[in-house]
Amino acid sequence: MSDYEALTQQIREQARQLLSEGRVDCVIGYEVGPRGVTRPAFIYDAADVDRLVWNASCVHNLVTYLHDKKKPQRRGEEPPRVAVVVKPCDSRTINVLLAERQIARERIFAIGMACEGTVGADGEPLARCTRCGDRVPVVYDVLLGEPPNVSPPQDDYPDLARIEAMPPAERLAFWLGEFDRCIRCYACRQVCPGCYCTTCMFERDDGLWVDIGIEVSGKHIFHLGRALHLAGRCVECDECERVCPMGLPLSLLNRRLVREVDATFHYHAGREETLAPILFEFGGSK
Amino acid sequence: MKFTTRDQLKAWLDGLAAEMDLVAPRGVDGHVFYRPVASGDEVLFDYERPELSAKAFVFPDTEVFLRVEQRGKDVTVEEVRTERKQVIFGVRPCDAHGLAVIDALFLNQEPADAQYQHHRERTVLVGLACPRMWEGCFCTSMGGAPDDATHLDVLLREVEGGYAVEAVSEKGKALVKGLKTKQKAGDPPAPQTNADAVPVVDTATWRTLFNDKLWQRHGERCLSCRICTYVCPTCRCFDVVDRVVDTQPGLTRIERIRVWDACTSTNYRRAAGGHNSRPTKPGRIRNRFYCKFCYYPEDFGPLGCVGCGRCVVSCPVDIDITEIMRDVAAKGGQE
Ligand code: SF4
Ligand code: SF4
Ligand code: SF4
Repeated sequence: MSDYEALTQQIREQARQLLSEGRVDCVIGYEVGPRGVTRPAFIYDAADVDRLVWNASCVHNLVTYLHDKKKPQRRGEEPPRVAVVVKPCDSRTINVLLAERQIARERIFAIGMACEGTVGADGEPLARCTRCGDRVPVVYDVLLGEPPNVSPPQDDYPDLARIEAMPPAERLAFWLGEFDRCIRCYACRQVCPGCYCTTCMFERDDGLWVDIGIEVSGKHIFHLGRALHLAGRCVECDECERVCPMGLPLSLLNRRLVREVDATFHYHAGREETLAPILFEFGGSK
Repeated sequence: MKFTTRDQLKAWLDGLAAEMDLVAPRGVDGHVFYRPVASGDEVLFDYERPELSAKAFVFPDTEVFLRVEQRGKDVTVEEVRTERKQVIFGVRPCDAHGLAVIDALFLNQEPADAQYQHHRERTVLVGLACPRMWEGCFCTSMGGAPDDATHLDVLLREVEGGYAVEAVSEKGKALVKGLKTKQKAGDPPAPQTNADAVPVVDTATWRTLFNDKLWQRHGERCLSCRICTYVCPTCRCFDVVDRVVDTQPGLTRIERIRVWDACTSTNYRRAAGGHNSRPTKPGRIRNRFYCKFCYYPEDFGPLGCVGCGRCVVSCPVDIDITEIMRDVAAKGGQE
């Protein structure tokens, strides 16, 4: 079992050093709010590092917040340098954003956490964690914790198989039923580190592709379109599914394409820092 | 008290469903929502707080309100409107309170919002008191209560073996005429209420804190999604667009729709030409809370929050309105 108390102290110490030595302007980590809920925290001052924690509920992928740090805080300045606490799944998104030239490696300090998996509000391991074989981030500047010795599970997509076994009409009905519940709150898109277009094509003012109506037809297009836009880019952090207030099984859509990209191109988004985006490579050698 | 049983209620609801639109709490794929129901049997009687408020039935998330048809030089414009009556059964008191908050703008300001007014007039609210307060609830701090009848037409309270029936308004009295009840001795039990009050401070104090660091601290982790505003029984921003639904030679059909909008979304304040006057997350979060506790009460009367707790439990990054209210009270020296 992870020693959360010891790791919390190590994160605080790391953050204190980085901030007091002026190596970063901000540390993005986790804190626990008054209701006892673990949530993202932004620390700018070494005096505040004791807000930071590490526990099994550090579920959020904090890399998504790096998009808010791409621009200088004030005109004429350099963009801020940011330290970010990452789990293995989160770290893959750093690689995706590097490959897509969204962030500069030298402005990011990745505090990598050896990970035993996280749990949801119900205390049960998240589905993504039961599938995940990574225990160490794929990119980090410092690694905290001892990588636990567990053998990686094989994701043979049993949940996908259940959907794919349905006759087409039944499968369509299944998805339309799910999309019907969607309230088009866009939390799935907003939380996704890969969804960073300044104007989402599904939210254009001119309604070119889909209008603003919160209706099944538009939601259907939005979800299939979003999944396709993440093909070869989704790292399976499953944040979209986790934040969805309506419990849509969005991971099924994304992992359907993860499997496809793997089978066709032997490509896993974010595995390595040097991977170019799949759409630039189309069937590269990996 | 007037007493009725669940079976009698169901029989009454069956009759209502045959005559009008009936909306009630219903289980949907493991969630609980207010949804249209066709009979009393579909209605959920034991539930906590439906995940979405009841506002969608008087202020739909998407509503076609004009149909325009152009044939050559002839243009016809038709207002879209249902004449059916509607009963929302099992409304929680906070949701009825939320509608009263929306009324302050959509009904009580000139001119009234015609669509909203029409839905409000065709709707009767039959409430079911909460036996206790649920996770995140703080209605008692916002002038409400789990068994508050004020904004309802009928209030039901669960008692031994059935429900106590209280017809609150004239509409409510007329509606319950068809419900079998009998007189019974005793009073319904008082609901359990949480002890912790959340401080509500005056708008002048809010105005002193506009530039406080608090907004940065709470706002920075916001995702700019729309969950908090869409689950909220009082958030009422909307957008209106026209969409072409059919084009053929010599014929064009257009619908004008009104759709919920959210001040938390990035493009809410984007104007023609692309300028966005509220470009940051802290600025948008600040607006959401100033709307509720400063602008809305100053402009229209009621506070913009009824303490239903939905945004508290559904925000994926724990932006907690009660924490913000406490911080504001502490900073404003009113705690
Ligand atoms: S988070 Fe869920 S409800 Fe919100 S837009 Fe995405 S799928 Fe729909
Ligand atoms: S602001 Fe939050 S607690 Fe208040 S009424 Fe709206 S959803 Fe409920
Ligand atoms: S406060 Fe929470 S629910 Fe509201 S927009 Fe921000 S992340 Fe979404």
